[in-house]
Amino acid sequence: MSAQTQSGDFDIYATFQQFLQDEEISPPLAAISALAEAIVRSNAGTMFELVQALNDGAEELKRRSPNPISLNAGCELFIAFVTLFPHESDNFAELKKELEQQGRKYAAEALTFRDKIAELALGFIKDDSVILTHSHSRVVLKALLHAHKTKRISVYVTESRPRGLGLKTYETLTAAGIPCTVVLDSAVAYVMDRVDFVLVGSEAVVESGGLINYVGSNQMAIIAKAANKPFYALAESYKFHRLFPLSQYDLPTHNPNILSFPTPIGRSAGTDDAPSTSTPDIITKQPARLGTSSSSTERAMNQEQIAKNPGVDYTRPDLISLVFSDVGILTPEGVSQYLVGMFAG
Amino acid sequence: MAPAPTLDVHPVNGPPAGEPSAGQKSQKQMTKAERRELQEKQRAAKAAKAAANAPNGKLGGKAAKELSALAGAPSKKTGRPSDAASKPPPPGLVKAAQAKAGQASLADQSARNQARGLLIFSHFGLPKPVSAAKGDIHPAIARLALQFSTFKITGANARCIATLTAFKTVIQDYVTPQNNTLSRHLMTYLSPQISHLVAARPMSITMGNAIRQLKLDISGSDIDLPEQDAKDVLFRKIDTYIRERIIIADQVIQETAGNKIKDGDIVLTYARSSVVEKVLLEAHASGREFSVIVVDSRPMLEGKRLLAVLSEAGIQCTYLLLPALGSVISEVSVVLVGAHSIHTNGAVYSRAGTALVAMMAKRHSVPVVVCCETYKFSENIQLDSFTKNELAPLGDLFSSFPNNKPREYLTLENQPHLEILNPLYDLTPPSCITAVVTEVGVIPPNAISSIPVALGRL
Repeated sequence: MSAQTQSGDFDIYATFQQFLQDEEISPPLAAISALAEAIVRSNAGTMFELVQALNDGAEELKRRSPNPISLNAGCELFIAFVTLFPHESDNFAELKKELEQQGRKYAAEALTFRDKIAELALGFIKDDSVILTHSHSRVVLKALLHAHKTKRISVYVTESRPRGLGLKTYETLTAAGIPCTVVLDSAVAYVMDRVDFVLVGSEAVVESGGLINYVGSNQMAIIAKAANKPFYALAESYKFHRLFPLSQYDLPTHNPNILSFPTPIGRSAGTDDAPSTSTPDIITKQPARLGTSSSSTERAMNQEQIAKNPGVDYTRPDLISLVFSDVGILTPEGVSQYLVGMFAG
Repeated sequence: MAPAPTLDVHPVNGPPAGEPSAGQKSQKQMTKAERRELQEKQRAAKAAKAAANAPNGKLGGKAAKELSALAGAPSKKTGRPSDAASKPPPPGLVKAAQAKAGQASLADQSARNQARGLLIFSHFGLPKPVSAAKGDIHPAIARLALQFSTFKITGANARCIATLTAFKTVIQDYVTPQNNTLSRHLMTYLSPQISHLVAARPMSITMGNAIRQLKLDISGSDIDLPEQDAKDVLFRKIDTYIRERIIIADQVIQETAGNKIKDGDIVLTYARSSVVEKVLLEAHASGREFSVIVVDSRPMLEGKRLLAVLSEAGIQCTYLLLPALGSVISEVSVVLVGAHSIHTNGAVYSRAGTALVAMMAKRHSVPVVVCCETYKFSENIQLDSFTKNELAPLGDLFSSFPNNKPREYLTLENQPHLEILNPLYDLTPPSCITAVVTEVGVIPPNAISSIPVALGRL
């Protein structure tokens, strides 16, 4: 089955990267815009070929992207939209243009989703709230900044190793005048009793009602449950995904290298799960990164060791209190109902 | 459906209408022991009455004589009465009547056994023997009823397909009487047939849903169509139902559930689900490397058939009985089970023992995946295994314990203070289930109520 050859002059991944340049646009939206572009450039003659071409484009994006989950959600949403779009088959070129416009319109409208979510979350943030958040999320930042206009809040944010994105959040919040403190990833349990509720963003919200987010979210959810604190997830509707992971290791991002053990030195490297490790590196003293105190006794993981760690994890739906989305405030069960209703038709 | 639980524990061959009211009035005045005595007397009297009446006029003289001989016999071995009754086939008797004689003798014998009575679970009603065909029972239905009551056809899907196929034959042979229309009369014609099936074995949810759909189709059939055309329309509808809701649904489930099986996985399954069997065979055919643990339980030991099918296909299998589950559960990657039906609150009603497997898996953080077509969805809510269940019939079928002793040593029978309780189904609470795979998607158990929404769109 030959795919529509458009890779000659049109590189979908490059277009995708281009859209991503804009800070505000998240990967799924960029994917939708890239796919909308692909529609116009494609020379498909029928709906079937067009959907085929879009699927190929989505595959390409998934392949070349390091973290494909949220991207996947956006692609699937757009392809489902294209498939279900009512069309009269007389003028296909016009149909394609129409689809492309719809795609662009959606992407533009989607930028307002974060504001909607921020407004919804406002009702749950009381004066003098102490909020715990994880790593860096644009929608959470928007919600916090929005709340700051009318209420007093203070925020704990985790450092979120290894990428240290929590510090980015710290800078943004402090610049806005919100009292903010960075806590170690391992100090989440320590701080949980001080916190009123937990607010996190998402890479994807899955069909079970669970959450896929930067590694550390699951931990936070479990600790919040143990401490009886509400755990809220903020997610735009284009992040709802039909995936259904049965466990952490059922995620598409999980590969055999993660959490693998190295082959011992001196023995033959037999059939090992970890192709990238030959001998374990002795941990070298590296200058402490990320602007924290540069004590000479501090150590850090090297790249190889970091590569064995996951980037995202899966939080079970029973640990999540509510999911705030532009379609409304949903319980985790409600997410599933929304997804089944949306994709079953 | 099931008679409301009352104090007197009669088998549901039903006490004559007059009795309960008389018995209940005085029961309030009697003590417990006196009440028990009264029950025993009533039961014995009824059992004698049941044995005395030959169940139907179709019995040849020889068979009837055997029966009355049996009625007097004080001691009975399980296998013998039915053997004796079915051994000499009086010429000209329909096979069904023969088997009915066997069933009747089983009936009077089990009636005697029920003289002790089950003190719990009696509200399900004890399995009744296939009684005399009241009115016109089509031979296809009679055959089916027999197959159901002797457990030759088991499994929700198999029963539903067999029922619908039998109904096609019945509809084909049906002739609309004068001054009547197919859409109105056919249903009244089918009702006694359905009751006959229910009497043989309580209807499964799948059969219920299919028959409801059939009734809808019949009542919606066009009055103006000539009879054979109307029948053809019905046949097409039945075929479509089977194809779309069962066959094709199974194919979608095979693919979806198969994707959850990864190379190197150890899959555990319980008893024998037709859907799970298909999933495993398909996953194996697509080249996935995995091994299967088949967990089985008495008395039905359905897992043996699954084991045979899987081993034949080349899948590495382990077979063990339910009590041994604890030893292997920590090595299992995923548990795949089928379902008899699934309820709005997400509870799964399935072969007895499934709940144990699910709870054990949950305890060890093993994901439990239920494979279930949407036509098994039942809109009521079930909270436990007692309010609705089915008891396996006593008698030859399931008294093969212990296997290595001759029949005379079937010590579980014939004990005055020992009752055998054998529920066929149990309820797995939604908290133990990780995911339900249907043809409309993978659904978490607490969102099962979204199935009607999805179905409404289809």
